[in-house]
Amino acid sequence: MTEVITVDLVDREGGVREALDEGRGATRAQLFRRAIIGGGTFLAGGLLIGGLPKLALGAPSASQDVEILNFALLLEYLESEFYIEAVAKNAIGGETLAFAKVVRDHENAHVAFLKDALGSRARAKPQFDFMDTTSNPDKFRATSIALEDTGVAAYNGQGPNLTKPTLAVAGMIVSVEARHAAWIRRITGKPRYGGSAANYPAPSVLEPSLTRAQVEAAVGKTGFIKG
Amino acid sequence: MTYLTLDAVDCDGAIRESLDAVRGDTRAGFLAKAGLFGGGALGGTALLGLTAEAASAATAESDVAILNFALTLEYLEAAFYTEAERMLDLSGELALFTRVVAAHERAHVSALKKVLGSKAVKKPKFNFRGTTESESKFRATAQVLEDTGVRAYKGQAPLIKSNAILGAALAIHAVEARHASWIRDLNDAPPAPTAFDQPLSRSAVLAAVAKTRFIVPGKSTGGRRTTGAASPPFTG
Amino acid sequence: MTAARGASDIRRGGLTAVLVMLLGLSAEVPSAGAADPFQLSEPGKLSHWAFVERTTVARTHPRHSARAVSRLATMTPERTQNLVLALERVEVQGRLWLRVRLPVLPNGTTGWIPRDHVGSYHAVRTHLIVDTTKRTARLERSGRTVFRARIGVGKPRWPTPHGEFFVRNRLRGFQDTTYGPLAFGTNARSAVLTDWPGGGFIGIHGTNQPGLLPGRVSHGCIRMRNADILRLDRKMPVGTPLTVR
Repeated sequence: MTEVITVDLVDREGGVREALDEGRGATRAQLFRRAIIGGGTFLAGGLLIGGLPKLALGAPSASQDVEILNFALLLEYLESEFYIEAVAKNAIGGETLAFAKVVRDHENAHVAFLKDALGSRARAKPQFDFMDTTSNPDKFRATSIALEDTGVAAYNGQGPNLTKPTLAVAGMIVSVEARHAAWIRRITGKPRYGGSAANYPAPSVLEPSLTRAQVEAAVGKTGFIKG
Repeated sequence: MTYLTLDAVDCDGAIRESLDAVRGDTRAGFLAKAGLFGGGALGGTALLGLTAEAASAATAESDVAILNFALTLEYLEAAFYTEAERMLDLSGELALFTRVVAAHERAHVSALKKVLGSKAVKKPKFNFRGTTESESKFRATAQVLEDTGVRAYKGQAPLIKSNAILGAALAIHAVEARHASWIRDLNDAPPAPTAFDQPLSRSAVLAAVAKTRFIVPGKSTGGRRTTGAASPPFTG
Repeated sequence: MTAARGASDIRRGGLTAVLVMLLGLSAEVPSAGAADPFQLSEPGKLSHWAFVERTTVARTHPRHSARAVSRLATMTPERTQNLVLALERVEVQGRLWLRVRLPVLPNGTTGWIPRDHVGSYHAVRTHLIVDTTKRTARLERSGRTVFRARIGVGKPRWPTPHGEFFVRNRLRGFQDTTYGPLAFGTNARSAVLTDWPGGGFIGIHGTNQPGLLPGRVSHGCIRMRNADILRLDRKMPVGTPLTVR
């Protein structure tokens, strides 16, 4: 599973955009490979997002739950704004649009739920710039896969850090994100998925998890979060 | 769309190194885990850092019970898909789904058995009552089994005491959710029907499983059932 | 069945039916109709048998209105649990049917029974092949010969019937040395000894007259030396298909 890498496929320097424009005859794999090798650097340390302090994680506690739920809320804000914008721009159609509408509604519900749970401690929604990932269908799908896969890995990474009641709640959300991930993977790759297990709706025997730093780094690389 | 593997882009190992540093793992540890990515079979004796020995020595009784509950469900799913692979003439993406998911569930069985060691429950005997012999029944049953599996893991997660075991349970839980989404889409059903998935208690899951009558009392096929002591009535 | 057809079955209520089944009620799953039969037995490669779990009626066609061919009880006359060799399976209007070999005359008779009247399948990869001309028995497993023996077969008056059969039980610990230490029961019947007590079933067993073997010596049964029948027992599970030629 390459969640971290695939997020990086959305290249803020525009390498992917260039590759897609020029490489109409190439396979998608070739295009992305070109973009990566030609594109920017990877994972140069952890990029902090949104000014949240890096926490030394201790035993589960209510205040740590708040911290982690705010991290989750950031990801949900990102996803929900991404899907809201994609649906509004109306550049995607068919199954992809149907997917985007349903998932937009789900992510909005997750945002509403987390804001409600956090009350006055809920972080503010940042500004986002999704560039053409919400208007280019191929980029939309690639980005959606990366965001959903990363979201699952982020929740799973934090699971053991949560108090049990909060874990129960997170559990109700993470499986929905996994369903989203499988769904957009299916739309993108069915019925044969390029003959590669890495493209399947369920690519792994066991779902990988990512640390918070890894998630922040991956999301930071996208350049979606403006402030 | 194909996704690049870590190998394809990490020409000089720079990515692996930075990820290792971030995780604080040894390179060997991270690579071992990386081997789990991309749909490969589970190898070795380690499940997300657990070894059978470590798990057995320190594992709370309640965690053992939860793992055995999970193992029973995985036995059922693995046997169901394995039998369907043999008993149905599947084609196209449904055949691919079945092959992939059967392999996943078998790997889950292996992993849970290794963690449980001698405390693992035995594999039950099954009768899938035609659901592995009719494509329409198979599709419908697969969907229900996957959705139920997701709810089962979700119900147990907050009860798990060991962080390592919780990590493993969450890892399986998400994969079952992907399975559920995939078969739903194959069945033209909504892959993600609700914004929040609901948990199900262990007793409710076991009751639902009991109603299927898929698990049958184990009797050997040899012995008294097929061997008798009557004097042969044959023509001789 | 195409994926599209399967999916529309679900939409037409397949999922509901399974949910209802899970709740312990019974329901018919509407289906597009019978597809090609699915083969369940390839002797020597992979065959399947199942226990008869309720008394059932085997019919000429996979439908309840078809003519009855034979009743199948849950026990054999020797008081072992009855089993059937499953040849093929069809789904007709949402119900599964199996065509099975029957223990009736004429030999080779098969009939259709509802799938849910038998239990789950047991797989066998063995195949016993009896040649009445050469007086040999050979057991194959997954295409390899794993056992051979010289045998006695039926006298010309009481020939061992030719055809496709299966081993349906094993008897042991009885007192009659005529049959040696062990006997296998089959679904094959003598075509001539039709009023033999017990129905004239053909068995495979040992003997207290090994000197007669090989040869045409019996009332139809297949006899082998006691050492051979014991050796065969270690390699041949009940349910194994039997070909006699």
